[in-house]
Parts: sequence; structure tokens; C-alpha cells
Amino acid sequence: MDVSEHPVRLLLSDDLERDRLTVFFRFVLAIPHFIWLALWSIVALLVAVLNWVAALILGRAPAPLYRFLAAYVRYVTQFYGYYHLVANPYPAFSGRATYPVDLTIAAPGRQSRWSIAIRAPLLLPAALIFLGLAGAPAGANRARPGTNANYTVSLGLLNVTAFLGWFASLARGRMPRGLRDAGAYSLSYGAQFWSYALLLTDRYPDSDPLAAVPGLPVRSDPIRLELADDLRRSRLTVFFRAPLAVPHLIWLELWSILAFFGAVLNWLVTLSTGRSPNWLHRFLAAYLRYAYHVYAFLYLIANPFPGFVGKTGSYPFEIVIAPRERQSRWKTGFRIILAVPGLILTSVYGALAFVVVVLGWFSSLARGRMPRGLRNAGALALRYQAQTHGYLLLLTDAYPYSGPTREAD
Amino acid sequence: MRWLRDAYRGAAARPWRALASLLALLALAALWALAAQALWRSSVPSGLRLPHVGARSAFSSSLLSRSSSYETFLAIDRLLATVALVVALVVYARRGHRLMRESAAGRIGTGMMLGMLGFAVVWLAELPFGLAAVWWERRHGVSHQGYIASVLDGFIALGGEFVFVSLALLIAMTLAGIMRRWWWVAAAPAFAALALLSAFVAVYLVPQTHVLDRGPTAVDVRRLARVEGVAGTKADVQNVNRETTAPNAEAVGFGPTRRVILWNTLLDGRFGRAEVRAVVAHELGHLAHDHTLKRVGWLALFLLPAAALVALFTRRRGGLARPEAVPVALLVFVVLQLVTTPLTNIVSRREEAEADWSSLRATRDPAAERALFVKLAQTTLGNPDPPTWAYVLYGDHPTIVQRIAMVQAWRARNAR
Repeated sequence: MDVSEHPVRLLLSDDLERDRLTVFFRFVLAIPHFIWLALWSIVALLVAVLNWVAALILGRAPAPLYRFLAAYVRYVTQFYGYYHLVANPYPAFSGRATYPVDLTIAAPGRQSRWSIAIRAPLLLPAALIFLGLAGAPAGANRARPGTNANYTVSLGLLNVTAFLGWFASLARGRMPRGLRDAGAYSLSYGAQFWSYALLLTDRYPDSDPLAAVPGLPVRSDPIRLELADDLRRSRLTVFFRAPLAVPHLIWLELWSILAFFGAVLNWLVTLSTGRSPNWLHRFLAAYLRYAYHVYAFLYLIANPFPGFVGKTGSYPFEIVIAPRERQSRWKTGFRIILAVPGLILTSVYGALAFVVVVLGWFSSLARGRMPRGLRNAGALALRYQAQTHGYLLLLTDAYPYSGPTREAD
Repeated sequence: MRWLRDAYRGAAARPWRALASLLALLALAALWALAAQALWRSSVPSGLRLPHVGARSAFSSSLLSRSSSYETFLAIDRLLATVALVVALVVYARRGHRLMRESAAGRIGTGMMLGMLGFAVVWLAELPFGLAAVWWERRHGVSHQGYIASVLDGFIALGGEFVFVSLALLIAMTLAGIMRRWWWVAAAPAFAALALLSAFVAVYLVPQTHVLDRGPTAVDVRRLARVEGVAGTKADVQNVNRETTAPNAEAVGFGPTRRVILWNTLLDGRFGRAEVRAVVAHELGHLAHDHTLKRVGWLALFLLPAAALVALFTRRRGGLARPEAVPVALLVFVVLQLVTTPLTNIVSRREEAEADWSSLRATRDPAAERALFVKLAQTTLGNPDPPTWAYVLYGDHPTIVQRIAMVQAWRARNAR
């Protein structure tokens, strides 16, 4: 089922079925693995240092060290797959047994000594994406003596999908596919990140969600993305992207005020008649399209300067919105409450989009092209945000799909 | 000159229409001249003769030498920046239209993008000279601003400039789409109206301010505002001491939004109460003589011919209705601004002189006024008697020596 050329590839044979009992006690059940992982990590750290020195001398990772570290990375992936509900069965402790969320890691090859020597600084951009996907530990900083500390927590996509998936799996006995695939994407990137850090490969981690997860579904959601971007970027407009977006952001802010009242009106009408008025649906759809033209421009997911009216088919990053349909009054009545999980995930995807724009800015300036992986990661983040936004505006009652999709992205 | 040939052929074909156009233009020119004359009026006595004041009589030779070297560097730096600006805009006018492929925004949106990118190119071209100026000011202790902060501030400020240029192009290109060749007739008043609005709300756009409502300076503001006929005018203090040590003040707004803004570097103890009072009276003088509105008036008078020339020079690219004409429009507009700078400086100096005169009449304290000007030269390292070329190109205030001479003239006039 592997779809990627990357030497470190995720294999996924999970059937989405979840046992409610093990899901409910998942954290407690994972405690032995946590202890084992901690012990293994200490040894792996020492072996990694030894591997670095040996690889620097030999130009490749020695086979015994490679096998040990590869098993460690496989184990981490399997265990985190279990813990984050990407898979169901209890994993083995060896890292060598097969598992529904597994890895293939290509045999060790020669690596550039320069790349080995400076591996740590090379890891920095990948570490930013890794933190966006897997989350950063909680931290505290004290601005001034005597003042209260400010605690910051970055949840990461993997943790949030697990959190939401826990409730969903308990309720339905199945993990929603979108959440599972989003978690698998995070795991795949994490595995590639650690493999690169531990010198199992010299291929840089690939942030492309389409290459990360095998067998992605093809969907035709009422709110979906059509991407016709060719990855080329104008260095001049990339350098000045933020100030260039300012007139658009002001215009969007003004439009948002109208859209807010439009959404309230839409809620009242849809609740009473079961469908949006056509003119209001068109107005809110144009607003949503325009907003995501602007965000795609700002976040470097697309290149050209967008128009100001959200015209259909006018931009390479196009949010396609289906015509109005009947909507469930129950779903309409409780729309804000129902949207809460989507909004939580939206904030995590927002953090990912932020990492994409920071890294993409430097990369596009240097090469005049946006890396495909970063572009697709950003597109996934914006597509999910657009779907959530559209759900809140009552353009559809179909819930936003949280995972990557093949055609749509 | 193809446009001239076309105009001649058009006039030969339809002489009565040409005559009517000529008469309309003459009427417009006459109105322009009348308005300029009205704006040119000043309350400074027309027969006032300024006595000769030698810079060496008021300032030490070391200060003169230091300030001369300081200002000469900045003036040359500014001149080079202007050359870089023009070169960048010439290149942009020739090649900027190629950037149209980076837009999916339609006619006006693409024009807005090209306008913004023009400003961005200008910012890049002027950046080294801006950094050189920061280095020089830091070296002389006039500025505290760091280099990175200076670049970042400029970059962030671009956002505001981009909004301005987008709005201007939105108006001009919309009008050009509707009125074709005659868009400039409607655009000039529209821009003047925008400038008026901007002058009215300017007080809300000044960052890092707080109201000055207590202390001796607040008392002086209230008293002097009554004396100068602008009772009720308030004063704000702007915190700038992190960036600069130079003192300054400005008058902003009109009607209910008129305000005097004092930099906190003016109130840090280096200037005595009487000297601060002179500054306050000067700024109130601007408000009392409606200089904010007069500046909008002058701007309108500048914009009318400037917009007409922009319309003329952009014809070869299909007129300002087309986005590819925007880089040319930018070049023409900026060059016109540069060419008319010595003229606008004359107007500005006249208004500053009127504010000085107003201040003298309100405070009746020529000693404080003189002391203020001496201290201003010392703290800003401004050359009290700059070379003529720098005075003509960059002097938007009378020189310090001229301002001291005005103090002496006032004293002589009131001693009689």
C-alpha cells in the first residue's frame, strides 16, 4: 500500500474498528509501554551518538547500530499509533513484529559526511513541522521577576486527533477515517524525522500528506478544494507577501462583518425553512471563496495576487462550494456546539499553516518555487479550515473531513 | 510628441470644440491662480524685513562645523536615495508590467498589485540609504534606533503605504474605466477629499500618545490656545525617546480633531518652560491659521495638473484604466513630486514663518524664542545656515538663522 518514494514509508492496514474497552483505558494500558519507551530512549540516545561518530568516519551507519535504531523508530511509531488511536491492537515491545501501523525503512546506504556532520542544524526546519504535527511539550516562561509565568502548550495534530478520536471511538466503536489518516500523517512525518535525525537515511522528511498515507480516499464533499497551483513563486511578491495582503485583509475584515450578520440570518432562515435562501447562500459562498483566496495567497499556498470579489474559478486555490441543499434542522439548531471539535482541529491546522508559511517563505525566496510537501500540507490545513468555516456559515451540514484526500488536495 | 500632433489634428478638424476646450482650460487655470493666491496669504506683515544674522554670532564654530558635517552627509544621502528612487522607478516603469502575470485579480486588482510592488521596489532601492542615515544619526547620538528595528519598522509601515496606494489606484482606475481620458478631472477632487479625511483623522493615527492634561505645560496650552483663538485645543505627548533624542512637535487635525502633539523628548528637562511654551504657541499658530486645511488646498492644486500629466503620459499604455499603465503612472507622479518639492518647500517655509510670527505674538517672549532656536540647533544638530542647494531642496522650515532674524525683527517692531 506504500505510495511514497521516501526510504522511510508508512504501512497502514488498520480497519478503523476500535474496541471500546481498550479505547476507554488506552492511557492506562499504555503505561508499561511508556516505561519501556523511556528506557529504550536512553539507550537509543547513547547509540545515536555512537552512530553519528561511526557514520562520520565510515560514511554510512554501521549495520548493527542501524538495526537497533530502526527497530527503535518502528517501535515508537507502533506504540504512538496505538496510543493515539491510529491502530487498535496492543503493540509488541520489540519493534520488529508487524503492526497495522508500521514502517519500512530502506537498507542503509552511503551518506554525505557533510550532511552527517551538520545533521542537527539541518533538522531545525523539519523540527518545526514535527512540533506542529506531533505537538510540543508544555513550557513556561517568566517575563519579569515577580510576575506570573506564562504557560504555553502546543498540542499538535496527532494529540488533537487522538483526543477527538477517543470520544468518537467510544461512541461508535470506529475511528473516523479522517482523524485516523490525519494521525497517520503525523506519525509518518515523525518516523521520517527520527530516521533522518538518527542517520537511518539522508533523505529529508517529506511533509506532503498525500505521500505520507497510503490509500487516501477520493471524496467529493460539498465544500472541497481544487488546486491548480504549479508551485512557481515570484520572489518579489513572496518577499512582500505580508504587506501586499494588507489591503485584502482590511477588505476581508469589512466583508466579515457583513458575513457575520448574514450567517445569523442564514441560521434563522435555515432553522425555520430547512434550507438557506439562494441569495444568502451565494453571498456567503463568495465570502468563503474570497477569504480562502486571500489566505492561500498569504500562506504561500498559491502565487498570484487574488481578486477582491471571490469570483468562481478565478484563483489556483479554489474552494468549490456545492449549491444549497436541504439541511437537518437539528444540525442547524446546534451548529455552534457541533462545530466545536472542528474548531479545535482548525486551530491545530492553523499552527501547521503558520509553520508552512514561515518555512515556505524562505524556501520560495531561495528557489523561486514552493516545495510540494509544504504546499500540500498548507493546502490540507486551509481546506479543513474552509470546510469548518463553511459548516459554521451553514453553507452545508456535512461535517468537515479532517484527513488528507487524494483528489481534493 | 505624438500627443501634440494628435491634439493639433483634432483641433484642425473641429476648431469650435478646440476653442471651447481651450477656454475651459484657461478658466480652470484662472481659478487655479485665484485659489493659489488665496492660499498664499499670510499674517506675517508684508513689509517685514529680516535683519542679517550671522551664524557665527549665535553659535560656536565647533557646533557650526559639527552640524554642517552632520547635515551635509544626510543631505547627500538623501540626494543619492532620490537618484536610486528615480532609477528604480524608471526600470519599474519599463519592466513592471511583466509582473501582471503574478495576478489573478482582474483589471483594478492587478493595477493595485503593480502599484504596491512599485512602492516595494522603491523601499528596497532606498533601504541602503536609510540604513546609512540611521548609522550617521546613531553615530551623532541623535537616534537610538537599531538597524534591524529600522528595517522592520519600514517593512511594517509598507502595509500602511500599500493600503494608501491601493485606495488611490482603486479611485483613479475606476474613474479611468468610466471617464476614459478625463478621469483626472474627477480624481483630483476625490483625492483632495481623501486627504481632507486623512487630515481630520490623523490624530487617531499617531502612535504611542497620551493626553497632556496636567502640569505647567498643560496650563500653558490652555492659555495660549485662548490667546491664539483656538480655545479648547488639547495637547498629546508622543513617546519617541526609544528611537530618538531629537525634540519635535506637530499640529494635526482641524475642527474638533485639532490637536498639538509634543514629543516627549521636548519635555525631558532639556528645554525650559518658556521654550516649551514657544513650541506650543508655534503649533497652535499652525492651527489658528488653518494650515492643515491650507495644505489640503495646496495638495488639491498640485493634484489637478499632476493627475492630468499622469493621464497624458499613461496614454501610450492604454490609459490608467489598464493595469500596465500603473508603473508609468507611479514614475510620472513621483517625478512630479520631486520636481515640485522646491515649490512645496517655499509654501511650507511660508507657513512655518507665519506660525513663528504667531508664536511671538502669543508669547511676547522673544528671548525664549531665540533660546529655543539655539537649543533646537544644538539638540538636532540642524545646520543653522545650510548651503543654498540643501535649503532649496530639503528646507521645509526657515533656517535657524532666519528664525532668529524673525525674532529680532519682531523685537525691533514692538520696541517702537
